[in-house]
Amino acid sequence: MPREVDPSLNEKQFVTQALEENLRLDGREFDQYRPLELTFGEQYGVADVTLGKTRILAKATAEVTVPYADRPLDGIFTIATELSPMTSPSFEVNRPTETEVLLSRLLEKTVRRSGALDTESLCLVAGQKCWSVRVDVHALSHDGNLTDAACLAVVAALRHFRKPDTSMDAGVLTVYTPAEREPVPLSWLHSPFCVTWSFFGEEGETAVLDATWLEEQVRVGSCTVSLNRHGEICQIAKLGGTPVNAVVLLQCTGVALAKVKEFDELVDRRLTEDLKRRDKGGFMAELRAENDR
Amino acid sequence: MPLDTSTYNLALLRVDGRRWNELRRVHAQIRTQAAADGSSYLEMGHTKVMCVVTGPTEPGPRRGGAAAGGAGGGGVGSGGAGGKAEIVVGIVIAGFSSVDRKRYGRGDKRTLELASTVSNALAASLHTNLFPHSQINISLHVLSQDGSLLAALINAATLACVDAGIPMTDYVAACTAGSTSTYAANDEGADPLLDLNHQEEQELPGLTVATLGNSDRVAVLVCESRVQISRLEGMLAVGVDGCKQMREILDRVVREKGVRMIQEGTVEKGVGLGDIDMD
Amino acid sequence: MAPDGPLVLPGETIDPSLVPSHPKNPLRLGPGLRHIPPTDIVPTVAGQLITNPVKNSMWIEYNSNRYIPSPNDLILAQILRSTTDAYLCLITPYSAPATLPHLAFEGATKKTRPQLAPGQLVYARITPASANRHMDPELECVSATTGKADGLGPIGVVGTTSGSGSGSTGPGCVFDISLGFARRLLMARSREDGGVGVLEMLGGEEGGGLAFETAVGRNGRVWVGSESARTVVLVGRALQETDRAGLGMEGQRRLVKKLVREMK
Repeated sequence: MPREVDPSLNEKQFVTQALEENLRLDGREFDQYRPLELTFGEQYGVADVTLGKTRILAKATAEVTVPYADRPLDGIFTIATELSPMTSPSFEVNRPTETEVLLSRLLEKTVRRSGALDTESLCLVAGQKCWSVRVDVHALSHDGNLTDAACLAVVAALRHFRKPDTSMDAGVLTVYTPAEREPVPLSWLHSPFCVTWSFFGEEGETAVLDATWLEEQVRVGSCTVSLNRHGEICQIAKLGGTPVNAVVLLQCTGVALAKVKEFDELVDRRLTEDLKRRDKGGFMAELRAENDR
Repeated sequence: MPLDTSTYNLALLRVDGRRWNELRRVHAQIRTQAAADGSSYLEMGHTKVMCVVTGPTEPGPRRGGAAAGGAGGGGVGSGGAGGKAEIVVGIVIAGFSSVDRKRYGRGDKRTLELASTVSNALAASLHTNLFPHSQINISLHVLSQDGSLLAALINAATLACVDAGIPMTDYVAACTAGSTSTYAANDEGADPLLDLNHQEEQELPGLTVATLGNSDRVAVLVCESRVQISRLEGMLAVGVDGCKQMREILDRVVREKGVRMIQEGTVEKGVGLGDIDMD
Repeated sequence: MAPDGPLVLPGETIDPSLVPSHPKNPLRLGPGLRHIPPTDIVPTVAGQLITNPVKNSMWIEYNSNRYIPSPNDLILAQILRSTTDAYLCLITPYSAPATLPHLAFEGATKKTRPQLAPGQLVYARITPASANRHMDPELECVSATTGKADGLGPIGVVGTTSGSGSGSTGPGCVFDISLGFARRLLMARSREDGGVGVLEMLGGEEGGGLAFETAVGRNGRVWVGSESARTVVLVGRALQETDRAGLGMEGQRRLVKKLVREMK
């Protein structure tokens, strides 16, 4: 496995020095994100997030399986992250790097453990049949801040996703195809988003949002806060790094809440647009002869 | 088993009889292993952790990837590049450490995350730049779990590094803080709690804080449960305060051991050592 | 791309009328073209066919992602570590390191060789003798014929004394650009042939006479140095944006004006 190459001394020194002069290499403000774009695929449950040069694709799928023996009333919900050599030559398939482990743990804690998806609603027949919802996260290109982009992609994909409708009739479970019955959305409880702060300077006094890859390599510490728009913290992870004053951390959480509200609005807006695009004016309109094949 | 938090409001006592700002009994020892460069044993209530430090030594043969380490547990290194010592942390969680007797494999992501956190937290305090091209191995063994596991791991690792004589800025002391009443109840009168045990950790929102020495500077802040943002400040304040108490406890352990070693004649009573003021 | 020429794909037949014919000079084939005896000339990459009737040469201009070292290229390399008689340098990440002998600096002897830390940048030339595909490239920071540095050498880090060579001192940073853009910047008449005037504009009236220096590496990296960090960021952004959007002269002028206004 090729090792990750450190940036040159000149770059390290310049990034730090420029930050002291309130400058970032791409001319952004400290609390400014790169242009964030979210698009949905033709299929339900495919979300593509671009954040500057970072690009993440998330795809949600569902299948009917047997629930775990110790949780007969819950469905199964998994998030699979993969950082492939496509992202950077230092990532290798089937050998998770520390970055990948931490990313997958963060998504797990943010989305799954915070109860964003109601897993009880995935249960079909107690102890026998349930939905297994799986989100695959693929990093297509890595220019820093994978966490925030990946989290946004996962949430957007799950909110966009529709699973086939089912019915229980006299002990017979029927799963309908999309043609028979319109697929139904998941039972979604709240939308958590990650906001990652990067710290620079001797005592981590400079806090910067949405670090690029170069900034991530130079930073002395980072803190990822996950919140939903109701102001509930879903997780905080400052896993080591240079100690930062507690007051600074509290301020960071406050700013993060404002960013999370922006993300939430973006996802809502894109979902409405997508819905409008898909809505062809009802069943009869779809059957018209002049439609595209 | 749901925890009946309603009784707290009646007597202001927690399930194990503590008040809101009390730590559990902390018992710690250093230099427990004769063969190691540094070692420690730490109990926080029923959470029991052992730590063994070897190094700084010359790094062994390069093992592929960062995810290599102690048998059965996860190992994660940090630093290493650019003339600094690499801190490799391996965590072994014993199968008998918790009630449900779970087997923790090598690739367990939670263990790897714990290892990475301990490694990065210590990297901020240890003067790793004094030992270029070398490696500090920290091996942590969890013997019993009863909440505040990450805090216990950080404290034990700090003690063992002190014992190993690795230069460091200050102690990295950690503890947990929580809040009464669950996240759903938007209860303004919720009290913060110090040092959660397993039962409280399952039921109540909580966070782990590690600070550098006596300052307010937070090295580690991990929150894994849903909590209102307004309650963070209170929990953080209690947590930071708890870390200061913890630092005093760790410091006392080190000083007492030092005095005993001088008395036993393990260490020559030198010029500088006589000046240690005991309080 | 500024130069004109037909677009060719690998394996295509090249129209014989496009092949330059010169009475005396032999025909010279550049990168991306292969001669199959007796008479066929076949492109091996997709790109623009460029011909030069005066020099009787032809080659294919293409913008690839991978840098392949070739002799006499000026590159920005990063020191990896030092061995007994040479520094190992990275030209591109994840590729085999190139060697830069300790004595390949201006005025360097066994006793006065420059001390370079790992991670430091050097502006160097790939020696004419090396860089065939069967061996790792070798670098030099001194001209073998004149013994002068000619602007090559370590690029200074503030707070350290860099050795001989250009001895740039102020703050500076490296920006990644595409290989094609780096070639265009390095052209002798980059404004006319390469269609890049952004640097001249930044230093001229459009940019308000900014003072800065640059070192362009063929490996797709450009170092920008200036007394003020603000200028470095501005120049770097202007270069990257010109490259990314493929701006023409007018677009570059607008970009420079916009950036200068923003960064004021």
